[in-house]
Amino acid sequence: MRLLTHNYLQSNVKGTEKGYPLTIEPTKIEYEESPIDMEFVENILTKIDYSALLSARNQIEDRCHSDLGSDFIVPSLPEVMPKRYSDGNSKDDKIEEDETNQEAFLKSIHTILFDIHVLEGHLVCPDTGRRFNIKMGIPNMILHEDEI
Amino acid sequence: MEHHSEISHNRYNVLIEFAHIHLEFQRPELESVLSLHDIAIGRDCIEVPLPSSIPTVENYRPFLILSFDYHYAKEKFNLDDDGYVIQSDMSRFSKIDRTKPTIASVLSRCTLIRSAIELWGAGPSFDSCVEHARQLSSGCAGRITLENCMKLSSSWKITIHTLGTKFNREEQNDMRMKFAFFNLPGKVQMVNPTNEFLLIREVELDPKGTPLSQERDNFLSPPLAVYYGRVLGGIRDWRGNGRLDQFSLKKRSYLGPTSMDAELSLIMTNLGLVRNGSFCFDPFVGTGSILLTCGLRGGYCVGTDIDIRVLRGRSDEENVLSNFKQFRLNRPDLIRSDNALYHRHYRMNKPIYDVIVTDPPYGIRAGARKSGTKEEKIRAIPEDRRHDHIAQTKVYPVSDVMGDLLDVSARTLVMGGRLVYIIPSMRDFDVEKDLPNHECLEIAHVCYQPLQTELGRRVVVMKKVKEYDPSLRESYLSSVWINGPESAEKCANIRERLLEAAKLKPGYEEKAAYRKKRRQITREEKKKQRAKHV
Repeated sequence: MRLLTHNYLQSNVKGTEKGYPLTIEPTKIEYEESPIDMEFVENILTKIDYSALLSARNQIEDRCHSDLGSDFIVPSLPEVMPKRYSDGNSKDDKIEEDETNQEAFLKSIHTILFDIHVLEGHLVCPDTGRRFNIKMGIPNMILHEDEI
Repeated sequence: MEHHSEISHNRYNVLIEFAHIHLEFQRPELESVLSLHDIAIGRDCIEVPLPSSIPTVENYRPFLILSFDYHYAKEKFNLDDDGYVIQSDMSRFSKIDRTKPTIASVLSRCTLIRSAIELWGAGPSFDSCVEHARQLSSGCAGRITLENCMKLSSSWKITIHTLGTKFNREEQNDMRMKFAFFNLPGKVQMVNPTNEFLLIREVELDPKGTPLSQERDNFLSPPLAVYYGRVLGGIRDWRGNGRLDQFSLKKRSYLGPTSMDAELSLIMTNLGLVRNGSFCFDPFVGTGSILLTCGLRGGYCVGTDIDIRVLRGRSDEENVLSNFKQFRLNRPDLIRSDNALYHRHYRMNKPIYDVIVTDPPYGIRAGARKSGTKEEKIRAIPEDRRHDHIAQTKVYPVSDVMGDLLDVSARTLVMGGRLVYIIPSMRDFDVEKDLPNHECLEIAHVCYQPLQTELGRRVVVMKKVKEYDPSLRESYLSSVWINGPESAEKCANIRERLLEAAKLKPGYEEKAAYRKKRRQITREEKKKQRAKHV
């Protein structure tokens, strides 16, 4: 499960008020580098919930250190997304962003959204504590009969 | 002098030859692939009627002529370099080249195109084709086209493509000599020449694609049309030599009873406009055969399914992921979830998918299930059992499968994004009234693939044209079927309906009895074999 997918998942048990974002409790993580498509990353940024991404990143950091070795550094992210991405109006932006900063930001986003895979673990509902398991990288969102 | 004046040498003309299968898919696929390059027939190029020696041809002709304004073609395409050779199957999936692609690189994305030639001459007869070709340099486009081939260093050859009629070597050479007036300076080279010219003698085909008999009273019937031109893409047959086999089901590590045949998923992903960076989603991903094709086209792939066994596959080496690995693609993200509850599993603030492409479950090879139990009273699951509990699923009627699919698509597709799905159809199917609808989606194409006399399937392509209003969800869902959910029944339970239909046919009982007897014989044989080995 990528963090991009996690950004969209929520708990849907009957009666849940606020089942988003789910807390990640990873027990096994893998890293698989993939080629960056800058345009795609910029596009995706307009559709994700940035604060959920930030907390997800922090939740997986420790597991990354133990599973991926001390050489691996999970890129850090600014507290607030650069304005040009959050509005989705990247064209008419008056704030002069440093080109290299922009590229570095996009690269970090790419790594965090696409290249880190949670293979085993749990997703926990912030409201009810209901746990959804992740096995072989596949989160199981199926509800039990009494939760529908 | 017969002169097909509509094919003007002032314009750049391309003759496309299609394979004779999936007939209804050919134009939609071509239109879709052209639109990836922002080319629209009618706006950026025109379709010229094929020359014909017969006033009305009833059977399908697998040819199409596209005519471009020369200046447009020169701006849009790289006309000079046709060294583009379809070297490997992966070239079908190459990144969309926005800066001056060659025509071959644009068109070769179409699974159903066999070849494309730069048209130098065409006519309803051999002589008229030759005459038309003689006029090539009189047009501004034709003149330059010819000049480009006049290099001393360019070797060439003429291949003769006659459908259904054999001509001996002498006759073939006579045909070639008719075009000698071009006086190409380069030498003739049979193997890998710089330019290959194709002389096509078209005849009428029957519905299966077999040429109609050409001999009547020992006289050879005249051709339907004759074409002459230069092969684009450097290869005469884009589909030949097992070029599509690489993706055939036979080669994949993980297959199931519902795996889509490779050719159809290639076509579907074209109809969906999947390209590099497309965000692709299959809500009924199963063994992932369609999603795999999205991945091959450079899409970012997400698949969901309610059935964990299918998602996990048979083993570590045989699952959806192993198929992607086999083709060296980034792994898709898979989620076990219920599409009937999509709106509850997933936060949906902004539409995210560019393409949704899927083969929904119809109960033919795999029954559809959704969460829930058919029991009246729902028992609470005791806490200590919760972790290992395997939730019950109940039958998911086809009418709901389709309603939910359209609603999820309407909500999660970006504007202009496409939904491509398959729906099985019996013959009694009214495309206008029996397809599901949604206010936010518009039908772009419906293509029929016959499978048996009674049964076929339709690939439906829909486009998102209106923003989704979540408060209208109930209203959207209640208007999915114009003729009510009975229309959905036309797709559901097809196996049972086929059986019913078969029972009505004469000789059914005899055939059934015969088959039963054969099964019995086979069983007894097997018993004997086993007894031997014990």
